[in-house]
Amino acid sequence: MQTKILLGEDQIPREWYNIQADLRTPLEPPLHPATHKPVVPEDLAPIFPMELIRQEMSTQRNIPIPEEVREVLSLFRPSPLYRAKRLEAFLKTPAKIYYKWEGQSPSGSHKTNTSVPQAYYNKKAGIERIATETGAGQWGSALSFATSIYDLDCTVYMVRASYDQKPYRKIMMQVWGAECLPSPTDRTNAGRAVLARDPDTPGSLGIAISEAVEDAATHANTNYALGSVLNHVCLHQTIIGLEAREQLVMVDEYPDIVIGCVGGGSNFAGIAFPFAGDKLTGKHPDVRIIGVEPAACPSLTKGLYEYDFGDLAGLTPLMRMYTLGHDFVPPAIHAGGLRYHGDSPIVSKLVHEKTLEAVACYQNDVFEAARTFARTEGIIVAPEAAHAVKTAIDEALKCRTTGEEKTILFNNTGHGNFDMSAYDAFNQGKLADYEYPADLIRASLAKLPKIA
Amino acid sequence: MTRIGLIVNPVAGMGGPVGLKGTDGKVQEALQRGAVPNAGNRAREAISPLARDPGICFLTCSGAMGEETLRNSGVRDFSVEYRYADESSGRDTQAAARKFRELAVDLILFCGGDGTARDIFDAVGITVPILGIPAGVKMYSGVFAVDPGRAAEVAHRAGTLPLQDTEILDIDEEAYRAGKFETKLYGIARVPVLRNLVQLPKAIHAEQDDDLAKDGIARFIAEIMVPGTLYILGAGTTTERIARDLGLEKTLLGVDVIRDGECIARDADEQTLLRILGDGGEARIIVSPLGAQGFVLGRGSQQISAEVLRRCGAGSLIVVGTPQKLADTPHLHVDTGDSGLDTEFGEYISVVCGYRIAQRKLLSR
Repeated sequence: MQTKILLGEDQIPREWYNIQADLRTPLEPPLHPATHKPVVPEDLAPIFPMELIRQEMSTQRNIPIPEEVREVLSLFRPSPLYRAKRLEAFLKTPAKIYYKWEGQSPSGSHKTNTSVPQAYYNKKAGIERIATETGAGQWGSALSFATSIYDLDCTVYMVRASYDQKPYRKIMMQVWGAECLPSPTDRTNAGRAVLARDPDTPGSLGIAISEAVEDAATHANTNYALGSVLNHVCLHQTIIGLEAREQLVMVDEYPDIVIGCVGGGSNFAGIAFPFAGDKLTGKHPDVRIIGVEPAACPSLTKGLYEYDFGDLAGLTPLMRMYTLGHDFVPPAIHAGGLRYHGDSPIVSKLVHEKTLEAVACYQNDVFEAARTFARTEGIIVAPEAAHAVKTAIDEALKCRTTGEEKTILFNNTGHGNFDMSAYDAFNQGKLADYEYPADLIRASLAKLPKIA
Repeated sequence: MTRIGLIVNPVAGMGGPVGLKGTDGKVQEALQRGAVPNAGNRAREAISPLARDPGICFLTCSGAMGEETLRNSGVRDFSVEYRYADESSGRDTQAAARKFRELAVDLILFCGGDGTARDIFDAVGITVPILGIPAGVKMYSGVFAVDPGRAAEVAHRAGTLPLQDTEILDIDEEAYRAGKFETKLYGIARVPVLRNLVQLPKAIHAEQDDDLAKDGIARFIAEIMVPGTLYILGAGTTTERIARDLGLEKTLLGVDVIRDGECIARDADEQTLLRILGDGGEARIIVSPLGAQGFVLGRGSQQISAEVLRRCGAGSLIVVGTPQKLADTPHLHVDTGDSGLDTEFGEYISVVCGYRIAQRKLLSR
């Protein structure tokens, strides 16, 4: 029985898979924040290069990956697929557990799968600087790596809670030449407004996005890059699922269950969409695909499926998605990358149509699973990835009860080597189990912008 | 220089080992049953680590009320500011606390139990921060450090630490000895708090500021309030903040009822609540965990009885508490006096701890 299932560099996919081609009905369009009319490419041109706008709106099933991008991706791709034999033995489960290990990239997570092409397309468009936001620091460090490769300047607005919790992420960005700022800052109108209301705010992805978008929109040489949520980001991440599907073929497997953690939805999209495409097109109608989110920020399981802004200040287009309200500031859980009020519109639509499922987990349960994983498989995973580990273990334990030999695939998005303070808090029993008071909150969700 | 006023209740804790469930008025009986004074030893555990701290100046009482503890702990320089005659009593505790307040101490560090805490609170209220070295039979109030070592850590930094509102509970000792546990909220004291020592500075912003968290809770509760619904607000500073944000004055230690932004009953007892509920309509109960053990229902606010709760429905309960408070109480207690009703709350309870934020807490009964 193989532990690692490996592809050669020549087997890096040559095309991304665009699930928009296989959706049952077209995706509801994003709406202009002021006019509430569908966004047109010109609306996005001030902050995105045209090639990424084309990808955002494309319904072409397969989109070529430029050779220059494949060449950079070959630094860390194809990523290995592992069979978690020791975890299976520990759980005494008849299930087979596979995980795609994305933690071997230079920045230690899956985020480089999209930072590299985004930096590439911006460079080609003559852009000199990219502004972005980051939650846990994974996206900020991934973009810093990519901009250093393509000799671009980079400004990262990092959610302040993470900036304080994860100083090493900030240093990584600086090593790659990026400027990293704790958000909210006093550099932008959006940041100043939040600081005036609440000087001690831990910040949120929604606030940081507002700052980065404002920065890009007010500087001609600067574009904006988003590390999740948007269609083109999900598109770039499909390289994960495409590779995994090929690797499973090598061991004569196809998953019964596919699992990924969900913040903005891109890594989940990455592992899930190729399999969701198989489900939508009838090739594998029974595959279950589960997104796992924190109980503290459960947009897919407790949010409303409505049009909402992607950021706090209301600068982004309105997107139809599961949302907890754009003004929701999630508690400062350690899985900072999952602290986002909304979700990818495509992931949201597929959950709404029940092609994808969603579950929510508590922080202590997630770290318990991560500890089990570390003690069996060796890898100390990021708190975000630990959500997928938790649900993979839950599903494997169900198989122990039923005796079913299901094949479980999950996306192990990155290492937790910078998250030792979180593990320390868990070891000491000092992690709070935050949750979202959904029953009480319904009244406040009525404050979402109303779209006719 | 940090000025610490030390008060030791020399008989604290004596009743416990000999089955008296408390020492108030029972010192002689405890001695006859073979009890040995131990509060001095507990106090010494807390004081010894501070004995050579040049930044601390101790003020204390004569003899067993502090002087002996300081001397036995190796503290050389201290001043005796209060002297008692014969046997020490609660009145001496109160007089010493008042004296320390006059002398502008940064902290009154006391060694005792709930009774000692009540005596000190009676004397100085919230004008001086207090901290208990646990030594009593009953320590349901929240003013006690987890152990003497932790008390030393907090005392070492007294004057620089943030203060937290903490409940002092009043336990009826006679009823307690008869097997009945009847408590009520006696007062809200101010206690210095030392947060997680290993967490990175500023790691979790909102959670470190009790006042900010109360603001968030009050803002959220105001947002979810529905016209026409009765809201029964239990005792404590968090529910008091909710009322204050609505522009209402609330009794800190009592139960008030509000509807449509107006207070319709203040300091209501069980019968008053039942009468108001008898008028029909939706009602919700908002309470905060009380005391060191985190009593949500039944203890500390008996006005919200099993009958009141049944009329409103178990689902009507909204528990609120700041993250700091919740961090100090690993699980919460529900004891309505009706075990059937208690089980309706399940294994966990959700506690609103910020603006649109809650925590899942384990319930024990």
